[in-house]
Amino acid sequence: MSTPADQPERDFTRARNSFLGDAWVNFKRWNLKAVRNPFVLVVSLVQPIIFLVLFTEVFGNVAGSAVNQGIPGISYETYLVPAITIQVALAAAITSGIGLVNDIENGMFEKVLVSPMNRTAVFLGKTAAEMFRIAIQISIILGLGVVLGADVTTGLAGAVGIVAVGMLFSLWFLALSNSLAVITRDQESTIIAANLLQFPLLFLSTAFLPLDSLPDWVQTFATYNPVTYGVDAARSLMLDRDVMTVLDVNAFGGTLDGVIPGVLVLLALDVVLGAVAVFLLSRASSSKAR
Amino acid sequence: MHSQETASDRADEASTGDTASAAVDAVDLTLTYADGTEAVRGVDLHVPEGEFFGFLGPNGAGKTTTIKVLATLLAPTGGTVRVNGFDVTERPRAVRSTIGYMAQETSVDEELTAAENISFACEAYGVPRSERGDRIDYLLDLVDLEEEADKEAGEFSGGMKKRLDAATALVHEPPLVFLDEPTTGLDPKARNRLWEYFQRINDEGTTIFLTTQYLEEADQLCEELAVILDGAIEARGSPADLKREVGGEILDVELDDDGARERAAAIARDFDAFADATVAESPDGITVTSPVARQYGTDLLVALRDAELTVTGFNVRAPTLDDVFLAITGEELDRDSEVAE
Repeated sequence: MSTPADQPERDFTRARNSFLGDAWVNFKRWNLKAVRNPFVLVVSLVQPIIFLVLFTEVFGNVAGSAVNQGIPGISYETYLVPAITIQVALAAAITSGIGLVNDIENGMFEKVLVSPMNRTAVFLGKTAAEMFRIAIQISIILGLGVVLGADVTTGLAGAVGIVAVGMLFSLWFLALSNSLAVITRDQESTIIAANLLQFPLLFLSTAFLPLDSLPDWVQTFATYNPVTYGVDAARSLMLDRDVMTVLDVNAFGGTLDGVIPGVLVLLALDVVLGAVAVFLLSRASSSKAR
Repeated sequence: MHSQETASDRADEASTGDTASAAVDAVDLTLTYADGTEAVRGVDLHVPEGEFFGFLGPNGAGKTTTIKVLATLLAPTGGTVRVNGFDVTERPRAVRSTIGYMAQETSVDEELTAAENISFACEAYGVPRSERGDRIDYLLDLVDLEEEADKEAGEFSGGMKKRLDAATALVHEPPLVFLDEPTTGLDPKARNRLWEYFQRINDEGTTIFLTTQYLEEADQLCEELAVILDGAIEARGSPADLKREVGGEILDVELDDDGARERAAAIARDFDAFADATVAESPDGITVTSPVARQYGTDLLVALRDAELTVTGFNVRAPTLDDVFLAITGEELDRDSEVAE
């Protein structure tokens, strides 16, 4: 039997609820939970900060010369900060699925389903809260990077752009994390699966060294790795020049040649994985007896 | 509420007969899972507005599945199900906005405070901003959590979480509330407190649909009961009706020797006055259910003594819901086992 769960309906006892209202309620709830649990907020920042400090201190000299062969005159800090912003987006997105599993386990998922809220708005609110958190975390990393000596060549506008690229990048991993959550319905499995992906994705990309200085097989992997597109787009904004090495696009001119192709690739990826997550979530919240 | 219904709803009602005053109206409710398991097999339920209705049955009988269908969490695979006048498959959101639902598992957000949990529910159910503050205060007071309003729910005891959960189900003053085993796992004091809240909102006109493992709870609170067994309704009526159906009073006879039970039962069955009685062996002796149990009980005791059986105790009493349940389901309601539905 079909269940037109989201068919337009007049509200009866509800005085003032709307799609945006429902999204806002959930946005507030997840932000409140994030503030209540600052441990998660801090821990997901600690690892990227450790990377930023250790990599620049330990590998700074060696990596700096590799970097300067391609792009002369920039410090490793400046080179690395865009990569760390992407790492932050990745690490923060992992926790999204954990929140969902938690909701399923403690009954809040069902409680939301039995309420008259629009279900799309419910998940939109949750996702928006997580992207908001990611934007803040990326801003913190950018600020820290500047303190450590990194230079955002494009200034404030470029910094905003880098945050935007990080948010766009986070979306596909948010979708993946939530998909894993719905499939496993288990916190540990979700954490392990997502974490397992994190390091190969980061290291087999242009995050830490230029493409040319990587071994052939890593170059091949990096070419198809979403992290490369996020990092190259963010780095192009950071350096104000086209450093996108996996795609050779000259249609937009200058820095945009490095930003727009990466953004388009990420958008496509967001749409595909977002669709998978939407499918899995609507199946999980469907009232069809299985 | 009815004045707010649309014309199409009224037309629907007209075509299905008089359902205007029914909070729950299910005809031939069926739910078969994809693997072929028939969890609910053609259940009819009619709960008038304002009633305190109890839905009983052993674990796995289909109680929770039925309540989930009524609350739109599961779509029925057969039958017609209307809740507050709305078809659960065609108008699920209309059903959702007019019911409160308290799941079997306690459902609170442990990272939010008690007040924030209720506030979230208020917003989820579209309680106007101007009314939220008063509503939150009223509900915190109703479930005795005013002192804990700003504490995170994660610090609460099981009973406090249940009370908070109950409060969040009532934010929109729903005319109908589903309570799925709301007191399971609570100590008697916490249970009694919840009973008081439920009784209070029912007195104020709220229809309550309750499932419970505690027959005492059903006896004390419910006006009407239905007993479900293996996915089908086995009995229904008021607690008094059901007790009458057990057939008279109950004579419990305690024997000192376990081996004597069979002989004692045989003697009771041969007893002329108990020709129509139900005689069963119990853990301690035998149980005779008969309209004349009080009248002829002593005669049976004499007969047992003449047969040289030692009676260590006896008691004549009115049947309880436990006896009703035993008679219907053939088993005692297992209170301690894990809920397995």
